[in-house]
Amino acid sequence: MSNTSPAPAPGPSPAPAPSLYIYAITGSDHPLRLEGLRAVGGVSGALRAVTGGPLACVVSPAPPELRPKRRDLAAHQEVQERLMADGAVLPMRFGMLAPDDAAVVAALDGRRTEYVGRLEELHATAEFNLKAARSQDDLLREVLTESDDARRLNERTRDGGGTYADRVALGELVARQLDVRRGLLADQVVGRLAEMARGKVVASPAGEDFLNASFLVERGRAEEFSRAARQLAQGYGEGYDFRLRGPLPPYSFVA
Amino acid sequence: MTQTGGLPATASTGSGTGSLFDILELILDRGLVIDVFIRVSLVGIEILKIDIRIVIASVDTYLRFAEACNRLDLESGRKAPDKLSDIVGNIVEGGARGKTEGAISGALGAISDVFDRDDDEDK
Repeated sequence: MSNTSPAPAPGPSPAPAPSLYIYAITGSDHPLRLEGLRAVGGVSGALRAVTGGPLACVVSPAPPELRPKRRDLAAHQEVQERLMADGAVLPMRFGMLAPDDAAVVAALDGRRTEYVGRLEELHATAEFNLKAARSQDDLLREVLTESDDARRLNERTRDGGGTYADRVALGELVARQLDVRRGLLADQVVGRLAEMARGKVVASPAGEDFLNASFLVERGRAEEFSRAARQLAQGYGEGYDFRLRGPLPPYSFVA
Repeated sequence: MTQTGGLPATASTGSGTGSLFDILELILDRGLVIDVFIRVSLVGIEILKIDIRIVIASVDTYLRFAEACNRLDLESGRKAPDKLSDIVGNIVEGGARGKTEGAISGALGAISDVFDRDDDEDK
């Protein structure tokens, strides 16, 4: 092998270029049906497993230029979904690279107990992510209907009336109320669904959403969970927009 | 209520655009990170991390909210004429989001760019 190894460079030698893209960790007894899956970077048939003791790591050759393109994000996700269909999986975040097989095996060995334990805990579970938004018009209407102060200030400032301070006061009051109401809505929804889940992670909602929460749900209860979410959404009715995604790989429950 | 899920029968392309967009942060920001591996710094990820929540903190924003309230027709409830929602919609768009709008459109725009770039070659 010595004839293929480059001579060590004088001074600090550059790290070897990473050659593997890393998808997920599974148990080495996982069926690992990888055929037909696209790899990140677009090559098909390029996925394989690197096994180390009771663990396996799914990898493919690292694409030369890695960027979060739709195709590659979808490929990453599809690999996770396939693996998840057959057993427990620890999904990696998009964009993890390793230098070579030896580094992967070393990484698996380094935290073997931890990874094995986590795989057991996540056995037969899936993540469901729920995002929800409420029409801002409706929220404003609600604030004005229910708050005497807000209504009074609104009447005073209509048609150019009231002072500058009145207008700022109205806006501030309304803004605070929107925050409170969105927070309450989020707590309500999470409270109703959390009892059906084994874990939950509540993240900051973006844009118009008042809720961005992930639930760890036992596979046996997945139907029940999404039915409950659907019913809950129907109960809130018009003016609300609920988006439930799942079953997903347990991205939020592996860290 | 919309739901998608990809297991097991429809796993192949369970991730439509809308669905993929909704779980983007999970794929990019959560998931296992092993510190001995290399976390590639990817164009598009940092801007995604910008907090795009509506920041309600400036007098300007308060004034826009007040204006939005002033224009609401409380009598007609949520079945208000379309014209009204248009007006309020515009105000909200330009006002309540004013402070973060640049960041929002910037982030979304950039991600769409990244998303769209390889569509043609894809399928």
